[in-house]
Amino acid sequence: MTKFLRVAPLMLVALLLALSPAFAQDFAPTSYAAENCDYGGLMQSIEALDELTVRFTLCAPDPSFPAKVAFSSLGIYPSEYLESTGGGGEALFRNPVGTGPYRLETWDQGNQIVLTRHDQYWGEPAKEQTVVIRWVSESAARLVELQAGTADGIDNVGTDDIANVAANPDLALYPRAGFNIMYLGMNVDLGAFANINVRQAVAHGVDKQRIVDNFYPEGSIAADLFIPPNSMDAGYTPEVEPFPFDQARAQELLDAAAAEGVELPISVNLYFRDVVRGYLPNVSRVAQDMAEQLNSIGGGAYFNVTPQVVESTQFLDEALAGQYELYLLGWTGDWPDATNFFDTHFGPTNEQFGTPIPEVTERLAAAGQLSDPAARNELYAEVNTILRDEAPMLPIAHGASAVAFRAPISGAHASPLGNEQFAVMEDPDDDTLVWIQNGEPGGLYCADESDGESLRVCEQITESLMAYEIGGSLVINGLAESFVANEDATEYTFTLRSGVVFHDGSALDANDVVTTYAVQWDQANPLHVGRTGTYEYWGYMFQAFLNAPE
Amino acid sequence: MATTNTVAKLKVDPAATRREGSSLWADAFRNVLRSTNARIGLFLIFCLLLIALLAPVLAPYPPNTSMLSIDGYTGTGRLPGKPPCIHLFGCPTDQPQHLMGLDLNARDNFSRILYGARVSLFIGLASVTLAIGVGTLLGLVSGYFGGWVDTVIMRLMDVLLAFPSLLLAIAIATFLGRGLDKALLAIAIVSIPAYARLARASVLSVRENDYVTAERALGAGDWRILFGHIFPNAITPLIVQGTLSIGTAVLDAAALSFLGVGSQPPDAEWGFMLAEARNSVFAQPYLVFYPGLAIMLTVLAFNLLGDGMRDALDPKLNRF
Amino acid sequence: MLQFILRRLIFSIPVLIGILIVTFLLARLIPGDPCRAMYGERATEELCDAFLAREGLDQPIWNQFGLYAGRVLSGDFGESIRFQRPVSDILAERLPTTVELTLAAVTFAAVVGIPLGIVSAYRRNSPLDFGTMLFANVGVSMPVFWLGLMLAYIFAVALGNTPFALPPSGRLPAGLTPTPFYVEWGWAESEQAASGLLIFLGRLYGLNAMLTGDPNLFFQSLRHLLLPAIAVGTIPMAIIARMTRSSVLETLGQDYVRTARAKGVRELFVVLNHAVRNALLPVVTIIGLNFGLLISGAVLTETIFSLSGIGRTLVEGITARDYTLVQGFTLFIAIAFVIINMLTDVLYGYLDPRIRQGS
Repeated sequence: MTKFLRVAPLMLVALLLALSPAFAQDFAPTSYAAENCDYGGLMQSIEALDELTVRFTLCAPDPSFPAKVAFSSLGIYPSEYLESTGGGGEALFRNPVGTGPYRLETWDQGNQIVLTRHDQYWGEPAKEQTVVIRWVSESAARLVELQAGTADGIDNVGTDDIANVAANPDLALYPRAGFNIMYLGMNVDLGAFANINVRQAVAHGVDKQRIVDNFYPEGSIAADLFIPPNSMDAGYTPEVEPFPFDQARAQELLDAAAAEGVELPISVNLYFRDVVRGYLPNVSRVAQDMAEQLNSIGGGAYFNVTPQVVESTQFLDEALAGQYELYLLGWTGDWPDATNFFDTHFGPTNEQFGTPIPEVTERLAAAGQLSDPAARNELYAEVNTILRDEAPMLPIAHGASAVAFRAPISGAHASPLGNEQFAVMEDPDDDTLVWIQNGEPGGLYCADESDGESLRVCEQITESLMAYEIGGSLVINGLAESFVANEDATEYTFTLRSGVVFHDGSALDANDVVTTYAVQWDQANPLHVGRTGTYEYWGYMFQAFLNAPE
Repeated sequence: MATTNTVAKLKVDPAATRREGSSLWADAFRNVLRSTNARIGLFLIFCLLLIALLAPVLAPYPPNTSMLSIDGYTGTGRLPGKPPCIHLFGCPTDQPQHLMGLDLNARDNFSRILYGARVSLFIGLASVTLAIGVGTLLGLVSGYFGGWVDTVIMRLMDVLLAFPSLLLAIAIATFLGRGLDKALLAIAIVSIPAYARLARASVLSVRENDYVTAERALGAGDWRILFGHIFPNAITPLIVQGTLSIGTAVLDAAALSFLGVGSQPPDAEWGFMLAEARNSVFAQPYLVFYPGLAIMLTVLAFNLLGDGMRDALDPKLNRF
Repeated sequence: MLQFILRRLIFSIPVLIGILIVTFLLARLIPGDPCRAMYGERATEELCDAFLAREGLDQPIWNQFGLYAGRVLSGDFGESIRFQRPVSDILAERLPTTVELTLAAVTFAAVVGIPLGIVSAYRRNSPLDFGTMLFANVGVSMPVFWLGLMLAYIFAVALGNTPFALPPSGRLPAGLTPTPFYVEWGWAESEQAASGLLIFLGRLYGLNAMLTGDPNLFFQSLRHLLLPAIAVGTIPMAIIARMTRSSVLETLGQDYVRTARAKGVRELFVVLNHAVRNALLPVVTIIGLNFGLLISGAVLTETIFSLSGIGRTLVEGITARDYTLVQGFTLFIAIAFVIINMLTDVLYGYLDPRIRQGS
């Protein structure tokens, strides 16, 4: 294995110079580079060109790079602060510092987080002086707090409460379109499901609309394709029509399968885990209804499906290893690009639906390197058609969720990515906004966090180079006021806003960007510590770490 | 739960368990019936048994059939979680009657409550029987043979008793996986020590009795003495304790289901029904109220009977 | 007496060793690993291998046990996998809620249960007695979580717009961040800088409110404790009522009470002075013996009322396969359980010499 040059010696000197106070005035640009791309990652080098310009060079074309650098795991930290905290531990993850409209005031572990307005914020200042974030795992209890006025906004209104909230003039409901997919996985290698007729019969035999109407919050839609509609510039190709719900057709297909040797009725477990996600808010109800629907085809002559709940970790182990014939699972998009949906499920190494389909993997690999949405969509339309016909899974629903606020709160909104921005919300009654979400963050150094509860809090405190529009998924400028990419999408140059001040009073410059990225990228960096040290999002976005142990 | 520990620790006065043979059973039963509590308890248990046996006749719908799947169903509005419709109380007669509403899968809640009696009674009786069986055997062996056998068994029981029983049951149930049978096993395991201690105490109180010594002198084997002479002495407190623990077992099973380590869907188990509806307690309180009420009545029935039995059969136990 | 205590101490050593082994096994036998629990759908094999290696979970189980036992004996509970913080810190942070909850529950149980028991005994076989005992019987038969949900429904929703409304979740109202007494007194700069014991004391909000003279904090923390305390306290309340009743009945039959009555001492005075005083002693011990019941109640109640106490944290830890946290917390609870049982035995032995000699 090739050894990599971690930091060119000259650059190291430059880094030290930049950190020493005597030279703080004179900007000494730093950079970080892999010797070459053999280490398997996407990132090749990060260079500060001058105080406000930073250039990324990639190992392969990546049109989704701007969407990735907008993600909150890449929120920019002051390099001095990362140094002084050692890049991890409680010193860092309980005391985040960023450039965002709010800074962390206190984190009363187990109880609440209090944020205070950052007075030197570069943009529009936050409307409220204080934001209080609390957590209650039960949706019913969250709603009671909202109704009692002890909360101004709550996350994830319960499915059964949505109608009541909508009818209540004191409350305002904000549906959150589902940037996700819930699917019924079918393993193309196992048992009866190895027969394509059986899989297609399931696709015809499940009434998705009945499931969405009865067990999903309003605003959810029955899924036609694996990709949610209207969320990304490529991937959703409405011209590929799904199989219609048609139990008679399902019976025909099953009879055909029986003629090919499949034994009827097909006895099978429908596996699921008892974990609530945006794509599956009422998992046990959906599983029970799905089983009942399949069992009712032809009066029970074809299927004998038993819902089977499996403990979450075991479920994921077994489902992702391709051990289940039939299971319910889903995916929530991280950043708005089709690769985040397709490649994570139908890539060449994924066996959760059995042997990957080569016609699909080839097209995905090709589409991932194109920047032109129209050209990508040509390939994605083919992928969607193959996925429908081969039916390794049946897309069921894009689950919406909803947030609710007290009616007087202005600027209230819901974001499909779950990153509601409190800075634009105003409570006319007092100068505190109280938000109740599902759970407590694990830590607030989000380079090393992965759950939405942590990320949302980070998104108030830190900012990334790019950002997502408020209440949407469009990528807009963040700390960078502009960027240029080369033609084949392998080189991106960002220009930072000037006059941006961190919560600790230091000014943002290009070296902060380099350090923020470098400590995540390089496992040998002394600051590569974090909370768990996993930096999982870096792995998802850029495939590999520098100096990973062999 | 810990009440059983209490009973085992404090209340067992070995002298009280010294009873002769089983000729007194009829007397004992008459004594039990003299207590109002026991009569109420027995009546409730009788009703529960009847409901459990006749559930298919009494229930208007099968417990696991969604109204969404019934062709030509004429209910109005959104079906899952639909409030009770009782014709007697003014619900329009053109609408199908659902005494306790529809659950969140649009199944008839009343039918599920009725079928739930089967599950709860089964769990209560089976787990206690299992625990009594294993616990008594361990206790008898431990008390009769003494020495290192006694030390090992009783220290093991002490270790089990050092954990709050629900926590231990959660851990065991998580280890075993989801399912009623596994929850049943977990509950049985955590209640073994109480019976082991009880049985051991009974043995200790009679081991050196003249008739045991006499039997031994006559050449009777250990096991014959143990089961022929010592075991009958231990029966009464075990039965009293067992009856009292059925309620606890039903409660524990419900708690396990509630925490998501017990029943599997679509089991019509009360604790699980409660857990499934827990998030809609403010919107559909009837889905939470009835299963809880059913659990309470069942537990109450066994507690009342157990109390009555304790009063009648084992007055010395009646301290607390 | 001393000998009795010593004997109990030596007696508990094998139990403590057993507890050590069982806590380790309990955590490890549960299928699934913490990596999957933490990263869910996104857990890849490489990610998990690296994660397990870092936590030392790729080593043979015997090495892990050796490491664990060695650490525990030196008083170190290790670092939580999920929180990446010392388990002892998390314990110091979460224990106060459970302590306050159980204390409030016991107070409720005693304050309601003892008078009920006395009245019941004093008016034996009256409708009042019958009603009280029925109430007690119903009390022990209710599922704690059902009672909690129903209380939340009644006091937060049905009575939501009345002065009787009570909060259904949380330990304190939003935005109320109490200054710990040690910060106010200048003993430490902030909570993060304070020692575990100070954190523990400062988070007993009732105590903190008294030390810092903050009536609002005291009132608010009490208001938030009320519903969960009733939920946890109902079963012990019923037990205490029944026990008080039978022990008052027993004392009322004693010679010296009859003598006092015969001497013309006023009836009520007799009951309160003699009967109740003697009857209270076993009540104290029953509270100790019901520690497990309180913990079980706390697990369920903390879940319903969104309280970050040790019960809920532990159950979440089991779900998250946070081995170190589960081991640390169960070990702590088990040891506390053993100690409380021992104290209760000692107390009981002190009150009732027969037991001391008998054992």
